[in-house]
Amino acid sequence: MKSLIALMVILPILCGLLLNLLHKKDRTIKILALIVAIILPLIPLIASYGTYYFGGYPPITENPTIAKYLPAYITGSYLTKFHPAITYIFNSAQRIFIFILGLVAFLAIFTSLNEVKKPSGVYSFLMFMATAAVTAIILADDIFNLYVFFEIAAISQAGIILSSNIKGSYKMALRYLLLGGVAAPMLLLGVALLLGAVGNVNISDMILAMKTGLVNPANPIFLAAAGLIIFGWLYGSGLPPFHTIKSGLYSKALPHAASLIQAFSVFTLVALGVIILRLFYYVPVVRWAFIIFSIAAMALGISMAIMQTDFKRLIGFLAVGELGYIGIGLGLGTAMSITAGLFQAVNEALVTACLFLGFGTILYQTGTSEIDKLGGLLKYRPGVAGLMILAGFIMAGIPPFNVFQSKLMLIQSAISAGFPELALIMILLSIVTFMTFMKAYYAIYLKPEPRDLEVKDRIPSSTIFSMIVLLVICTVFGILPKIATSQFGSIIQLLTP
Amino acid sequence: MIPVQLASFFTAATLILIGIIGVFFIDNLIKKVIALSFISDGVNLFLVTLGYKPGGIVYIYLPGMSSSWFAQNASYPLPFALVLTSIVIGASTLAVMLAIIIILYHRHGSLSSKILED
Repeated sequence: MKSLIALMVILPILCGLLLNLLHKKDRTIKILALIVAIILPLIPLIASYGTYYFGGYPPITENPTIAKYLPAYITGSYLTKFHPAITYIFNSAQRIFIFILGLVAFLAIFTSLNEVKKPSGVYSFLMFMATAAVTAIILADDIFNLYVFFEIAAISQAGIILSSNIKGSYKMALRYLLLGGVAAPMLLLGVALLLGAVGNVNISDMILAMKTGLVNPANPIFLAAAGLIIFGWLYGSGLPPFHTIKSGLYSKALPHAASLIQAFSVFTLVALGVIILRLFYYVPVVRWAFIIFSIAAMALGISMAIMQTDFKRLIGFLAVGELGYIGIGLGLGTAMSITAGLFQAVNEALVTACLFLGFGTILYQTGTSEIDKLGGLLKYRPGVAGLMILAGFIMAGIPPFNVFQSKLMLIQSAISAGFPELALIMILLSIVTFMTFMKAYYAIYLKPEPRDLEVKDRIPSSTIFSMIVLLVICTVFGILPKIATSQFGSIIQLLTP
Repeated sequence: MIPVQLASFFTAATLILIGIIGVFFIDNLIKKVIALSFISDGVNLFLVTLGYKPGGIVYIYLPGMSSSWFAQNASYPLPFALVLTSIVIGASTLAVMLAIIIILYHRHGSLSSKILED
């Protein structure tokens, strides 16, 4: 079943390419996209844990047939432990991340197919390509492979924005690509520096070379590489200084696409963040950089959310602010904080997806995302309003839901790591998040309805179904957090001494 | 370090620097894209330079070569493989950016980056 590891990336790419060719064959597109979207979250659940080698072979130590033909100076060296192939690692942590990503992708694709009468093959192609790219980023143990999929994810996300046909989407996509045109080569330059210093692009091999003294980790080249890769990480995950462009990206996407793109940001942050911490485990300044950028994301994200009059941008900035919690968990570097950070990542991907879908219903009903033009929507669909307030409570960290559990763990780990100030910042910003959400909720649902507002009573049932699925998972993870937190052992082992 | 390699590293650094300055300080969108291609070309040149071996041979094992001689004289192939992929990705990104710029030009009649402001 190890071949299923490769299938997690190959299947969405193949499906995407096929959908592109089937452009305008509406019924076929719908059926194919839906079938593959259903399969996506199921593959990680049935795949076996292990390592998959693309286009090469396992290390010589695991391959005695090759070893007996090699000279002693190779078989007696560390070269026998190196991975001469593009390597994908699939463990329990990757399983839960890819499951959640696949689930959000399924719900986003399902919603998009149901909302439009004529589904676009190109649009579905881009959603599948981006999902495949982020899955590969989660699995990759090869930093160049990671760069390749990082670029594919960026182009696909820009493509999704272009296809949304919302006013200003072209400008936003170009801005995103222009910044990516700087950030991605910087990431590649970091990879090149590592390649020059170690002679390899496999992450496990690089770490082995550093730990066994094959290369000197104190070499300043590693510090420069760390800086450049962190720059790429900030762009990919939407942390400051890229928070404005990322939230702008969410606002120019259709709601279901925004729910998927935010999941891409979350999992790129986690996957690339874990790789950076694994590679530069001995540089304290890297952990500090994580904490500083995360605090900046929380403070800037939430303070900019307060000022927004467009609810899509508001949720976009709140989503950026929530990313900071994940970064703090990773940056603190204790087993508990890393577990909390990774749990927060899973929770945020779920609840923010739900919020974007929920705000999509408002857009669908009224055709506007301007908060000032809205009001009194509670009477039209009180059930949806109930789902929305539940999602808002979850995001703010109200018990007994999943975000409460992860934020509580983060606060406890910050205190036990000797940083009570961080705990205080997290509590304060959670309160501000709640207040910001409630202000928008009041303006949209509870405030008297403006006279000139035209409201459609119908909401696509696929959106409501998707919201309920996400909220049920949030509740289950809140009541039984161990289901998720017990899966992160493989990453904690890699990140803690 | 030999002069060719040093010169290549210097050229790569210059290209990256010119590119960064161009992206942030030039107003014209087409010129910005050209500046971006300078950055990626600089990084690609850096990668190629890493794989350079003075007096080395191309990494193709031909009949009659001894494996130890080949191992000592062949250049390191990995950077070249990476550059090939990087060029493809870079070209795709630039193509998408230029396509968007063409559409924006038709809509706004300008190539100034000010049209990107809300």
